[in-house]
Amino acid sequence: MAPSKRRAVITGAGAISAVSDTPGDLWQAWRDGRSGIKPISLFDTSGLPVKIAGEITDFDAKNYIDKKDRKQLRMMARTIQLAVACSQKTLEHSKIDKAKLDKTRFGVIFGASLIASELPELADAAHKSATRVRGQMNLGTWGREGIAVIQPLWMLRYLPNMLACQVSILHDAQGPNNSITQDDVAGLLAVGETLRIMRRNHGDFFLVGGGDSRINPLSLSRQSLFLPLARRSEDVHLACRPFDVSREGLVLGEGCGVLAIEDLGHAQARGASIIAEVAGFGSAFDRRRDGDGMARAITTALAQSGAPASEVDHVNACGYGTPCEDILESHGIQLAFGDFKVPVTTLKACTGHTGAGSGTLELIAAAECLARGEVPAAPHHRQTDPKCPVNVITGSPRKLQKPYVVKTGFTREGQCAAVVLRRWDG
Amino acid sequence: MSSGKRRVVITGMGAVTPLGHSVDTMFQAQLEGRSGVGPISRFDARTFPTTFAAEVKSFNLGVWFKDTGPWRNCGVNSQFAAGAAHQALESSGLVGLISSGKVRTDRFGIYLGSGEGIQDFNNLMWETAQAYDPSSRSLNYPVFCRGARESFHAEAEEEQELHSTAYHLASHFGLEGPNYNCLTACAASAQALGEALDLIRYGDADMVLAGGAHSMIHPFGVTGFNLLTALSTNNANPQGASRPFDRERDGFVLAEGAGMLVLEELEHARSRGAKIHAELTGYFSTADAFRVTDSHPEGRGAIACIAGALQDAGLNPQDIGYINAHGTSTQVNDRVESLAIKHVFGENAKMVPCSSIKSMMGHLIAAAGAVELITCVEAMRLGVLPPTMNYENPDPECDLDYVPNQARNATVDHCLSNSFGFGGQNTSLVVSRFAG
Repeated sequence: MAPSKRRAVITGAGAISAVSDTPGDLWQAWRDGRSGIKPISLFDTSGLPVKIAGEITDFDAKNYIDKKDRKQLRMMARTIQLAVACSQKTLEHSKIDKAKLDKTRFGVIFGASLIASELPELADAAHKSATRVRGQMNLGTWGREGIAVIQPLWMLRYLPNMLACQVSILHDAQGPNNSITQDDVAGLLAVGETLRIMRRNHGDFFLVGGGDSRINPLSLSRQSLFLPLARRSEDVHLACRPFDVSREGLVLGEGCGVLAIEDLGHAQARGASIIAEVAGFGSAFDRRRDGDGMARAITTALAQSGAPASEVDHVNACGYGTPCEDILESHGIQLAFGDFKVPVTTLKACTGHTGAGSGTLELIAAAECLARGEVPAAPHHRQTDPKCPVNVITGSPRKLQKPYVVKTGFTREGQCAAVVLRRWDG
Repeated sequence: MSSGKRRVVITGMGAVTPLGHSVDTMFQAQLEGRSGVGPISRFDARTFPTTFAAEVKSFNLGVWFKDTGPWRNCGVNSQFAAGAAHQALESSGLVGLISSGKVRTDRFGIYLGSGEGIQDFNNLMWETAQAYDPSSRSLNYPVFCRGARESFHAEAEEEQELHSTAYHLASHFGLEGPNYNCLTACAASAQALGEALDLIRYGDADMVLAGGAHSMIHPFGVTGFNLLTALSTNNANPQGASRPFDRERDGFVLAEGAGMLVLEELEHARSRGAKIHAELTGYFSTADAFRVTDSHPEGRGAIACIAGALQDAGLNPQDIGYINAHGTSTQVNDRVESLAIKHVFGENAKMVPCSSIKSMMGHLIAAAGAVELITCVEAMRLGVLPPTMNYENPDPECDLDYVPNQARNATVDHCLSNSFGFGGQNTSLVVSRFAG
């Protein structure tokens, strides 16, 4: 269908997570089966039913950003800081010479989700305005005295579009700029949108990412009310086990993955080193939650890439590790691949579930498999649930045998996407 | 129009706005120059720097849904979206075809630019206060977390998530194609419409429900915009507060609501004998890459955006008969937008009528672009342009034809609609009379 034959390649990546500061770290931790899931240290979790997460300890955005730009960090919540730090790593990795780049064709497309307010910023205003009655605030006092004690730029620190905006400002990226806010599938949808923007020839070079951090008192108080979170407190590295018969639920993580996605001709002209090709994309809504939407996303992505299902080396699954969602995904994969028992692996046991950051982080891990010719097993996976009809890779890493990998992602509400990567053989 | 791309037409529209809960009532109110602005009734805002907004009034989902149960726990943003989407889909004639299996629902996507649900201000701030020790300026997080988990309502919290609205619409109306939401502040629903256009043009879908819904008329929303000094504080004269391009303008007026459109591939629409309202012909988006708080002073991003949308539509500036301005009534936006229009339109700039319906409806934030595109379609169809109300004091830096204070008859074939967001995202759309 596509009128233009522009090809999109990955020429750089950054991956900040509980186990990584670079794509290489991420892949190595995965290969070693090393989990970043641990007791939360960022704040006292004794008031919460969940005390573990894939937390990034010692993250300091100042270590990533040019000195002249560091004062901007005050305007950014942690999620946004992760995005600008990770984007900096990606740009360095891509070896792009920004001076030679057409800034009007330099786009930034990010996936993002809600960013929780940091409570200390609002505490004085809240304290002045609270009544004695539970849940009752005195808005008269808030208006008269509360607003005045909040920082003027408070709201801008938390807007979900600020990941992409702050990145565009730091790097003078004047091309298309979007913030896709579809929760856990946002990052893969951002990759799909980038392919479409390249197809209509509105850009040559893109930073495409997703970032999320929910390891704070407000997010965890909220999310523990409605997400099926694993509550284990011992052997916590075993808490996240997608498709395993004894899986216990979702483990939140935090992180950011940013890819440099570039037009092939543009990349070749500057002698860029190519990690993998982004060959196809598909998205769909799984209305009945039976895997049909997931299967259509995969089939569409494969058709766009021109790859037959039999040429797919493996699927890098979303793998929530929750009772329901893993069944949906398994059925979707089975529907799309039919009798061909495609091998399946997942990364989440290492990083936890990084929300809007998960799609691009896991896509980077998948690209590393293509570049290195080796596919790590799903860490800590022991026995596949018979209700999950997928062929999970276990044990030692497997040699890459075929040129394509499919990355899947979806929301718990059934918004699905799939990306097909092709090994770059030069 | 360049060949190779499929053509995309608008076959359904719906609106829930401060000026009425249908496209007709909204547009008629605009032509009469009515204002949807009044004192804030959603919460006690009497001591806030800004005490007024343009609220959606007498909203009742029962008008469109026999059973409103599925929407009961949704935030107002999703409820506004449901009302507007129902109107758009009903008027498109597709609802019956979906239920009888005569259109491919896997080719029917959703691309929204919708905002977040409303945070539970009272419980969140009260629990924060309980956990706070002002003498040491420290928060006791276990106290906060225990209290918050008791007082928060699980469903309401989940509904705040940014993908909820697109999920509810897809699920309720049975749209199984690509499902997106973007949130680029005030440009969101315009950008969603542009990206939806692209999905159809290149064959990823045949139909897309696109638009946006948002409400920031809540304590955090007004607090946040007041702190940024972005809102008008003309509390003495709320209906005169939104005065785009007027020298005395002092900020925008917060509004809420939803606008939804059904975009459809031309041959698909023709083959089912659909009523075609207009053709969506151009889209472009850029980033200012300048500052999070201000537009680029020379309108760098806006100029590239407007020029790009015209080029995408295959049109020249002189083809445009009407510009629906972003026109927020802030000092910077209106000056920079006027500058950008002059830059792209050159000598023609002063000949092109350019009005801002925000003078009457206020600023629907993420939903603004969608209702503004709907306004363009109606202006073309009925041959009359909505005015910029409250225009009294000319500003030497804003010297275009803003259709001041009175609707005007005009035959228009192509309209430009601009939307610019906090953080520097710019979107321009071009919509054209459908000429067969």
